Amino acid sequence: MPQYTLTYFDIEALGEPIRMLLSYGKIPFTDNRIDFEKDWAKFKAAMPMGQLPILEIDGKVMYQSMAISRYLAKQVGLSGANDLENYEIDNAADNINDFRAKIASAAYESHEEAKQHKYEILKKETIPFFLNKLDKIAEENNGHFALKKLTWADLYFTGLINYLNFIAQEDLLANHSNLRKVVENTHAAPGIKEWVAKRPKSNR
Amino acid sequence: MPYKLQYFNARGTAEPIRYLLKYGKINFEDVRIESSDWPKIKATMPMGQMPILECDGKRFFQSVAICRFLAKKVGLAGSNELENLEIDSIADTVVDLRLKIMAVSFGPQDKKAEGMKTLKEETVPFFLSKLNAIAEENNGHLACKKLTWADFYFAAFVIMFQFGAQEGEKVWEKYPALKKVKENVENIDEIKKWIAVRPVTDL
Repeated sequence: MPQYTLTYFDIEALGEPIRMLLSYGKIPFTDNRIDFEKDWAKFKAAMPMGQLPILEIDGKVMYQSMAISRYLAKQVGLSGANDLENYEIDNAADNINDFRAKIASAAYESHEEAKQHKYEILKKETIPFFLNKLDKIAEENNGHFALKKLTWADLYFTGLINYLNFIAQEDLLANHSNLRKVVENTHAAPGIKEWVAKRPKSNR
Repeated sequence: MPYKLQYFNARGTAEPIRYLLKYGKINFEDVRIESSDWPKIKATMPMGQMPILECDGKRFFQSVAICRFLAKKVGLAGSNELENLEIDSIADTVVDLRLKIMAVSFGPQDKKAEGMKTLKEETVPFFLSKLNAIAEENNGHLACKKLTWADFYFAAFVIMFQFGAQEGEKVWEKYPALKKVKENVENIDEIKKWIAVRPVTDL
């Protein structure tokens, strides 16, 4: 079995879907957590695109969390059976990523006035729009995001949810029961259940 | 099997899809929506966005997912999952750069000048020099030392990167390996023919 080392910050966010995929596949991995204040500045220059997470597979450095997730999903049986099914999962994951990017655009805005304005639009329009659309997809797929079954799109969303709540500054699942079902279904999956019980506590 | 692609009158995120369809010699209707018509069409789109690709009554959206799907059809995907991961990482990186440029372009107007300066001096050089190093290692390609949809995905956005660099085509002189990636794609017969006839747009 290849040696896996994940390097990320000491938070869930974009590292968590990868941790969940490896856990689901019962693949042992080194969960390397970088101290942002102390270590990131010097680490950053050594990263392929100056970002985390990275996953080392037998020493080869892989980056881009969605690409890594898609790859691991194939290893652990959480991808589609054909190209069309994989498209459906990719589509769901891309929608989730779009949602994340829109929230992040507000959260990481450096100009205070622009930030406030962005959060206004986020709360009034963007978040309700995406939550309704995503909830509908989850309803059509019986508490999943694609193919009416557990796929890596479910893990991508569930891995991110605490982080999304943190940067959105609200409980995104409060009024969307189908999305809550996705998270529940994922947390109940073998391997992930054990991981969630023992993982370091984080608010994002 | 008639495909129908709908997007604005621009290259944008539809262009890599057009490149892949042309490369695969797949006939498609290249529908361009007027901005004035967009508000009412937007409501009919699955996630309120374009491009959208229709085939046999089914609608496909999310441009990167579509590209990955088409690449498999036209023989531009990896030959194993590790190769596909390598290609995906490049496509995602191109998306990261594109989003940073678009954030400035479509961001608050009073911050635009400052944003464009950061793009020109920091962001675009950072990404392009990293991608150039990757293209050097891969002999004028962006993944797997061969032509893949990663090359097409990059080549389709050159006008966007030129916009961010604020230098026009001259910018590629600084990144010779990326220039090779661009030329490798643009010299393909079907792509060359498409470039000669495609509508001229700013982005």
